[in-house]
Amino acid sequence: MALCGAAVAQPGAEWTTYHGSPASWHHSTLDQITPANAKNLELKWVWQAQSLEKFETTPLVVNGVMYLTEAPNNIVALDPSTGREYWVYQHPLPEVTYPCCGKVNRGVAIADGVLYMGTLDMKLVAVSASTGKKLWETVVGDFRKGYALTHAPLIVNNLVIVGTAGGELGIRGYIAAYDAKTGKEAWRFKTIPEPGEPGNETWGGDSWKHGGASIWLTGSYDPDLKLTYWGIGNPGPDWNPAVRPGDNLYSDCVVALDAATGKMKWYFQFTPHDEWDWDAVQTPVLVDGDWKGKPRKLMLWANRNGFYYVLDRATGEFLHGVPFVKQNWAERLDAKGRPVKAPGRGPSTQGTLTFPGVQGGTNWFAPSYSPVTKHFYLSVWDDYSSRYFAWDQPYEQGKWYVGGGVKSDVSPTRRERFNRRDPASGYGAIRALKWDTGEKVWEYKMTEVSESGLLTTASNVLFSGNREGHFFALNAVDGGLLWRIYLGGQGAASPITYSIGGKQYVTVANGHSLFTFALREEGR
Amino acid sequence: MLYTSAIVTRRFLYLIACTVAAWAQHSSVKLSNPFQTPQDRLEGARTYRSQCASCHGADGKGGNGGPDLTRGQFKHAVSEEAMYRVISKGIPGTTMPGFTFNGARGWQLVTFIASLNAAAGAGAGDAKRGAELVASHQCARCHAEGAPDLADAARRMTRAELRLALVDPAAEVAPEYWSWRGTLRDAQVVEGRRLNEDTFSVQVMDKDGRLRTIDKKDLAWATIEPKSPMPPYKGTLGGKDIDDVLAYLESLRGGTQ
Repeated sequence: MALCGAAVAQPGAEWTTYHGSPASWHHSTLDQITPANAKNLELKWVWQAQSLEKFETTPLVVNGVMYLTEAPNNIVALDPSTGREYWVYQHPLPEVTYPCCGKVNRGVAIADGVLYMGTLDMKLVAVSASTGKKLWETVVGDFRKGYALTHAPLIVNNLVIVGTAGGELGIRGYIAAYDAKTGKEAWRFKTIPEPGEPGNETWGGDSWKHGGASIWLTGSYDPDLKLTYWGIGNPGPDWNPAVRPGDNLYSDCVVALDAATGKMKWYFQFTPHDEWDWDAVQTPVLVDGDWKGKPRKLMLWANRNGFYYVLDRATGEFLHGVPFVKQNWAERLDAKGRPVKAPGRGPSTQGTLTFPGVQGGTNWFAPSYSPVTKHFYLSVWDDYSSRYFAWDQPYEQGKWYVGGGVKSDVSPTRRERFNRRDPASGYGAIRALKWDTGEKVWEYKMTEVSESGLLTTASNVLFSGNREGHFFALNAVDGGLLWRIYLGGQGAASPITYSIGGKQYVTVANGHSLFTFALREEGR
Repeated sequence: MLYTSAIVTRRFLYLIACTVAAWAQHSSVKLSNPFQTPQDRLEGARTYRSQCASCHGADGKGGNGGPDLTRGQFKHAVSEEAMYRVISKGIPGTTMPGFTFNGARGWQLVTFIASLNAAAGAGAGDAKRGAELVASHQCARCHAEGAPDLADAARRMTRAELRLALVDPAAEVAPEYWSWRGTLRDAQVVEGRRLNEDTFSVQVMDKDGRLRTIDKKDLAWATIEPKSPMPPYKGTLGGKDIDDVLAYLESLRGGTQ
């Protein structure tokens, strides 16, 4: 089975959207850096954030300017060849906001000279890309109820689309679209149907009221189908599923929405009645290819629940699914892709050991698809488990509403300065999978797990980093290590690449700084 | 780099233990406390201070309506499970309210209260003689270097844990104290404690106290085992000796808090 070319052009000199393109490949057509010369990469500049929050930004490079977010909600414009700043937009935040997992932001969107950023106090802000001055802001929701905006917006035609975080705080999620010129709301898709709407019956009793189903990662867009795709977060309370009997739609789903109206065309639920906090908050990777002899518009999806899926993105039909890491919660997927759960793997008062652990077989960090190798690349956490605990917990506004807890030797994020854990408690790896079967082509194994996204290029170089503090280049064909540098901090963002004055650069956030590399000049 | 089968075996046993635990919870009514690490106890102490001390006293010995919690005997909380229930539901007809802690906080509180019992109930021993034993056995030779600091040992551990660490140090060893042994490609053997590790290197304090970074390219073979370099004092020290050493360690706790 072969894949044809992309429906949407992939980035070259510029990096214009969070995922690189609406099809979300995290792949660039640039080819100056190759497997042969990657060993000559050297540091060109470092930009240091004035924030000690986790640095999850993926910068954009448009019209010769780099735009990134600095936690919690600043936008920085700088020169992408030197790192020198032009201006900083600082969004004022109230003293108390309610992000679950740090005061983070993952980036901006840009269109027609305007930057858009979602904020922790639930505002969508439009800022001039030349002056850094605010043009307008609109209130997306009430942050005091546990809502927050952390992901980079997605722009589709004249609309700016964002979704709400807060799945651990008893919110009720939604995706909303705003007019790019005025900030006026155009549509809103509720990720939990209300009474009288189809799907509400999948929430027992009143559980729909605080069922979570958040959004915290940018979606994708297919301009031919005019559909936008979004991965939806876990149902709440995370680990006490007994209080929310049913499938809990549209938690842990990918939804396909008409981009102009927000009307749902289809959904596919990866983990019905999730008991482990396995958000379907991954990147929807859109490819066109032949499936069993017929051309189809496809979606590739490596889910936090440990399964790799191929879906038809026009209809939502399940085509294929296979585990890509050790898992023991599902006996198999049925013909429609619904998991047949193994008994006794849900959380319990005493704790239940289940694979994968709470952060999943993979998570929000970006995978990559290369049209050159036709492989799907991702960062996995394998041989990794958690003990899941359940207990009763009443809902309190603005407080955590998770109904349980988790224990694992592997920390969800780098909290410890040192890595001294039992090596047998799990490992990280970059893997290349055959896009159609999910079969492993190669693996680059790491001692620690990684939260770093991936980037591939037309010249078959794959860039990524890890929690250990390394940033490295692999050969996308065979996984061989081409080059590496120790940056020292946690890598929890995706690298990008761009070209200025004929020179290819690679930029990545690590620790609390942004690092940029390029090839050493000849003769030095 | 490969690790030897010691880890694999241990892992396998852990899996079996967890599987049994998971099975047991579906078939048995008896619950035990899953949050018992020193960190859990510290969290429990925090919750205790903010929520309980006003009635039960800052030292747990009662005083403001709540009974003494240090004696290890309770009218209602006859087991850890019952204590958890008392904390979460309260005691009808008394001034003891139920607290809407999440489960972890509740269990951590149980851990802390249990440690009050352990520390208060088992304070036997002659601290002065314990100090002499610690000196004569030259404990500081290791404990002044890479081994855990003795000054705050009794703050980190209950008496029961300290006793176990003394008589059978191999019974429970935190990964940061596991023994690392590597054979380099030039046949040199390095043994010590693993301080840090990544994909490309291991940071080790070797047996001579030297800090070394071993490049994994230079490493032919490495093992890491959950065993302590501390010798077991079971047999070397008698029951009274051990009580005396524990009393000495607890006296240090008083001085460092």
